[in-house]
Amino acid sequence: MSLRTVRWAGVVLGFLGVALTILFHWQVFFWVPTEASMGIVQRIFYIHLPAAWVGFFAFGLVALCSAVYLWLGEEKLDHAARAAAEGGMIFTTIVLTSGPLWARLAWGTWWTWEPRLTLTLLLWFIYLGYFLVRSSTDNLDRGRKFAAVVGVVGALNIPLIHMSVYWFRSLHPQPVVARVDGPQLHPDMATTVFTALGAWTLVFLSLFLFRYAAARLEAYADRVEAARLDPSRSPTPEGAIVP
Amino acid sequence: MSILRVLLPVVVLALVLVVPEVLHAQAAGAAPGRQMRHFWHVFIAYGIAWALVFGWGVAIARRIARVEERLKG
Repeated sequence: MSLRTVRWAGVVLGFLGVALTILFHWQVFFWVPTEASMGIVQRIFYIHLPAAWVGFFAFGLVALCSAVYLWLGEEKLDHAARAAAEGGMIFTTIVLTSGPLWARLAWGTWWTWEPRLTLTLLLWFIYLGYFLVRSSTDNLDRGRKFAAVVGVVGALNIPLIHMSVYWFRSLHPQPVVARVDGPQLHPDMATTVFTALGAWTLVFLSLFLFRYAAARLEAYADRVEAARLDPSRSPTPEGAIVP
Repeated sequence: MSILRVLLPVVVLALVLVVPEVLHAQAAGAAPGRQMRHFWHVFIAYGIAWALVFGWGVAIARRIARVEERLKG
């Protein structure tokens, strides 16, 4: 896929994402009914759950791109994995900050070392390690390969996070949306959470594509600079999209 | 762009003024002190979320601008 196509896809997804974001904020603050037992603070749910979903999706993408990168050694896959990992960190940080703000009023505590929360924090640290490992060696290829291994292994934590509320005694409630018997929510709440899910998935995909394009451009700029120093090496025509 | 610059603060101000009223009306019956705390937690959670997403977007835009400068130069 050419960089021009990647950027246009990013623009289109970005516009759709912003439109859905405006809609879901209207739903959250003006339309959806207030939950009876928790009150207004339950509205954090509409960013907490979609952020978790997008974070897991992003880290799944990291694992997929990293696995194929380890297999084929294609540089673009490493760029995609790194772009997705940044997004995963952003959205998992949202989960880890919105959760305690909700928990303080719903459970009476900011944080508790129960399985789902602990595993989610562990996921965040694993992918922090993904970036640290990448920059831990002067050999660029070796750093990428180490990071790819972390990217694949880290994603094994995602199903554990999902199943932890079934396997262990947990303070965190069981899923109300991703259930075999369908969402256990008021229809308006389900509509709002699905709108938010769509909005943030599109926003993530848009930013992911721009970040991926930036990484490819940086790699091209490095090759152009290398070619200036050594005229026998000519860069690939990626730079054609640069105005 | 200049229309956006005018509209954005107006929209933000309108939301800041209107949203608490709407939420207050929806949650009538709860203790006022407790409700204020709920508002703060909701607004901080949404604020952090949007600061992070917006910040990532700005970082990417700056990165692209920097690399394009490198390629032009």
